[in-house]
Amino acid sequence: MVDTSIIAGGWLAAGLTIFIFSFLYRDNPFFKIAEHLYLGAGMGWLFQVSVNSVWIPKIWEPVSKGELLVIIPSVMGLTLLTQFIPKLSWMSRYGFTFMMGYGSGLAIPAGLSTDFMSQIAGTIKPFSLLASLSAMDIFNALLVAGGAICVLFYFFFSVEHKGHLKKVSNVGIYFLMVYFGAAFGNTVMARFSLLYGRFDDLFTFSGSNYFYATQVVLACMVLYFLLHGFFSGKKEDAAGEEAA
Amino acid sequence: MKDTLQKFFKIDRRWIFLLLTVTLFVPIVKPIGLPNKSISQATTRVYQNIEKLPAGSFVLLSLDYDPSTRPELHPMAMALVRHAFAKNLRVGVVTYIAGSTGLIEELFARVGKEYNKTYGADYVILPYQPNILAVMTQMASDLFGIYTSDRNGAPIGGMPVLKGVKSYKDMSLIVCVTGTAILDYWVAYVGDKYSVPVAGGVTAISQPGYGPYLQTNQLKGLIGGMKGAAEYESLIKQPGKGTSGIDALNLAHLLVLILILTSNIILLFVKYF
Repeated sequence: MVDTSIIAGGWLAAGLTIFIFSFLYRDNPFFKIAEHLYLGAGMGWLFQVSVNSVWIPKIWEPVSKGELLVIIPSVMGLTLLTQFIPKLSWMSRYGFTFMMGYGSGLAIPAGLSTDFMSQIAGTIKPFSLLASLSAMDIFNALLVAGGAICVLFYFFFSVEHKGHLKKVSNVGIYFLMVYFGAAFGNTVMARFSLLYGRFDDLFTFSGSNYFYATQVVLACMVLYFLLHGFFSGKKEDAAGEEAA
Repeated sequence: MKDTLQKFFKIDRRWIFLLLTVTLFVPIVKPIGLPNKSISQATTRVYQNIEKLPAGSFVLLSLDYDPSTRPELHPMAMALVRHAFAKNLRVGVVTYIAGSTGLIEELFARVGKEYNKTYGADYVILPYQPNILAVMTQMASDLFGIYTSDRNGAPIGGMPVLKGVKSYKDMSLIVCVTGTAILDYWVAYVGDKYSVPVAGGVTAISQPGYGPYLQTNQLKGLIGGMKGAAEYESLIKQPGKGTSGIDALNLAHLLVLILILTSNIILLFVKYF
C-alpha cells in the first residue's frame, strides 16, 4: 500500500503537469494557477535555500562560535543591496570591486589555459604525429584545423571579405551551420526526453495505487473545456442576437 | 489539388501536439523494444575510465541537476553509481545545485540497497554548498576544510569511505552529471589545474559544446542526454529508464522526420507542378 503522502504527491504532480500542458490547447485558469504556484514555490524554495544553506551555516553559526572574520565578507555582500538606495549606492562599489577582482583572478588564467591554449594545442597537435596517424585521423585533423581557421576568419572584421577571402569566410559559415544543426537536433532530442519524463510520471500516476490520478484530472480538464466552450458559445450567440 | 495540399500548411498546430503526445505515450504503455545498437565513443570512454579502476579507489560524483532535467540525467547518474558499486569503488557525492539533494537521496536509497552498500563505509553524501568556485579551490588543498560534516550534520572525519582522501590528488576520477555549466568549472578549475581525470554527463542540448574538450582529452569521456544514459545502461548490462526512453525518442524523431519530409515534398509539389 502506497503511503498517503505519496498518493497526495502523485495527485499534485499529475494535476500540475496536466494544468501546465493544458496551455497547449488554450489559456485557462488552471494553467494560471499552476504557473503562479510554480513561481511562488520557486521563490519560496530559493529563500529557504539562502537561509538554511547559506545564511545559517556560513554566517550565523560561525559568528555564534566567535569566528568574527566572516562579518567582513558579509558586510561587503550587504553593501551590494545599497544599489537600491541612491544616496548610499557608492558603498556597493566595494562589494562589486571585490567580486570583480576575485572573479577575474580565477576566471582569466583558467579560461586562457583551458579554452584558449589547450584548444590551440589540441588543433595543432595531430600534425606533429602525422606519421602515426591513420588516413581518417589525418582527414579529421585537417577538417578540424581548416574549420577552426575558416570560422575564426568569418569573425575577423578588419579585412573586407571579398574575392578569395569571402570564399574562406563562406566556408566558415558552413561549419557554423553544421554546428547549429547538430545543436538544434540535440535540443529537439533533449526536449523530447523531458516530455517523455513527464509522460512517464503521468503513466505512473495513472495506476490504481494512485487512484487513477492522471485519468481523473484529465477527464476534469476535458469536461471544463467542453463546458467552457458550450457556455462561451451561448454567450457569443446571445451577444450576436443583441447586436442584430 | 494544390488548394487541398495547401491546407496542410494551415493545419492547427494542436493536432501535431496531439500526434506527438500519442507517439510518446504509446511506448510507455506498451514498450516496443526498439534496439539501441550504436554506443558512442565518448560514452565508452567514461565506462572504460571507471572499469579500469581497482576496487577501493575513490570516485567523486558531482551530481548537479534538479527535477527539470531529471529524465535525462537521473538515469545516467543511476547507471554510473551502479557501475561504481559493482566495481566496489568508494563513492563521494557533492552537489552545487540545491534542488538536487532530494534526487540524490532517492538515488542512493535505491542503488545502495541493490548493492548492499553501507553509508559511511562505501559512500558518503556531502551537503549542498554555495559558491562553487570557492569550494573547488578549497578542495584542492583540504577537503575537510570545506566539508566538516555530511548532509545530515554527521562528522565525516572518521568515515572509512574518506580514509586517505584529503584532496584531488587522492581521487581517481571525478564525474560531473549536470545540466548547467558546472562541468566547465570542473574541467577548467580542477581537471586542467590539478591533473585530475574529469568525465561528465550532460543534457543533449549541451553535448555538442563539449566536443573540443573531448578531442583534447581535457574530458575523459562524456555521456550525452537520454541516448547516452541508454548507452551506459547497455554497457553495464542493466537496462533502466534510459533504455526504456529510447522507444519513445526513436518514434518521436521518426514523426519529426516524416513531418519535415511531408511538408517539404508538398511545398515542392505546390511550387513546381
